[in-house]
Amino acid sequence: MDFLTALHVSGSALSAERTRVNLASSNLANAETTRGPNGKPYQRLDPVFESMRIGAQDEAPTVGQSPLGVRVSQIVSDPSQGKKVYSPGHPDADADGFVTFPKVNPISEIVNLLSASRAFEANATAVETLKQMASRGLDITK
Amino acid sequence: MNLRIDSGQASIDTSSASRIGQIDRPDRSDRSIANPDAATAGQFSGELGKAIGEIDKLQVAADTQADAVAHGAGNIHEMALALEKADVAMRLAMRVRNKLVDTYNEIMRMGI
Amino acid sequence: MKIFDSTLARLERSLDVRLVRENVLAADVANVDTPNFKPKDVDFAATMAAIEGTAQSSGGVSLPTEPTLGTAGSDTASGGIAARDLPIVDVPAGGASFDGNTVDLDRTMVSMAENALQYGASARAAGKKLAILKYVASDGNA
Repeated sequence: MDFLTALHVSGSALSAERTRVNLASSNLANAETTRGPNGKPYQRLDPVFESMRIGAQDEAPTVGQSPLGVRVSQIVSDPSQGKKVYSPGHPDADADGFVTFPKVNPISEIVNLLSASRAFEANATAVETLKQMASRGLDITK
Repeated sequence: MNLRIDSGQASIDTSSASRIGQIDRPDRSDRSIANPDAATAGQFSGELGKAIGEIDKLQVAADTQADAVAHGAGNIHEMALALEKADVAMRLAMRVRNKLVDTYNEIMRMGI
Repeated sequence: MKIFDSTLARLERSLDVRLVRENVLAADVANVDTPNFKPKDVDFAATMAAIEGTAQSSGGVSLPTEPTLGTAGSDTASGGIAARDLPIVDVPAGGASFDGNTVDLDRTMVSMAENALQYGASARAAGKKLAILKYVASDGNA
């Protein structure tokens, strides 16, 4: 185990949480988007976290060998339909006059946002702590 | 006889710094009866040689740790500790050497 | 008469390489928003191995005492590594990106932190070794 492995472990978590924040923001911003990139209503995006071995290559984890980092293995979109609102004059209304809105719950997106932001702070603290530890170790020679 | 020597060595190995000037009692009791002066002289220079060897070992250990850190794979606090030990051992050696030189000069000054 | 040993030369080399790496990583961070920018890094272990290899092939005597890394017009004849020969590698992309920019800000910052810590450790080690020599050379009075 390298001396500073924890730095890269926490760094991978910072990166993953940042992605989570980006996706939650994207979901919040598009909570009312009736026409997404593919013409259909916006589908909310979720990150899928996966453990990752920190070492020579970032590959599938092997338990018991080295501390595991995290990465976003894929970003999945939620295909389920949101609520339908009767609004015949809407440009995106279908033949029956219903407009399909995205299945985005702003409350749960905000909770995701807060949770990711807390996790980001926690990992940033871990990075700072390890930096301090290494500094103190060096201070032996002062 | 061997057991006594081994136990004496084991007690000395715990700290290299305290080895300097320390008389190895179990060894001494074997030969002091026959030839006390020669035994004392042999003991001291032997001890001194061993002490210098210890100091050199500490320097080499510090170098090994520093090499590991230079390659990016070293343990930082182990390197720091090894460097400090080497530093302290070198300072102690300098003090002892200065003392020895002063003593030698003192003796030479005494005259017959 | 060789006053300074190979360990000190090795520490000096590592300081040079760490500095180059810090600059490369800083360039990555500066280009975090540049479209189609591919981040780079210095393979530290490979660089040190290459430097050792050069020293070996030049007779294995001692590493050059004059730093040649990153110096303008530095050449390999004196045993050093020219900056252009450093194994600067592309960082593998973590995931898809909108604009072709694959800079992972968090992991780059963490790499910079680790690089800075190791730089400090090498510098402290070199300073300590020189301090021991200085103490002995000044007859125990420094």
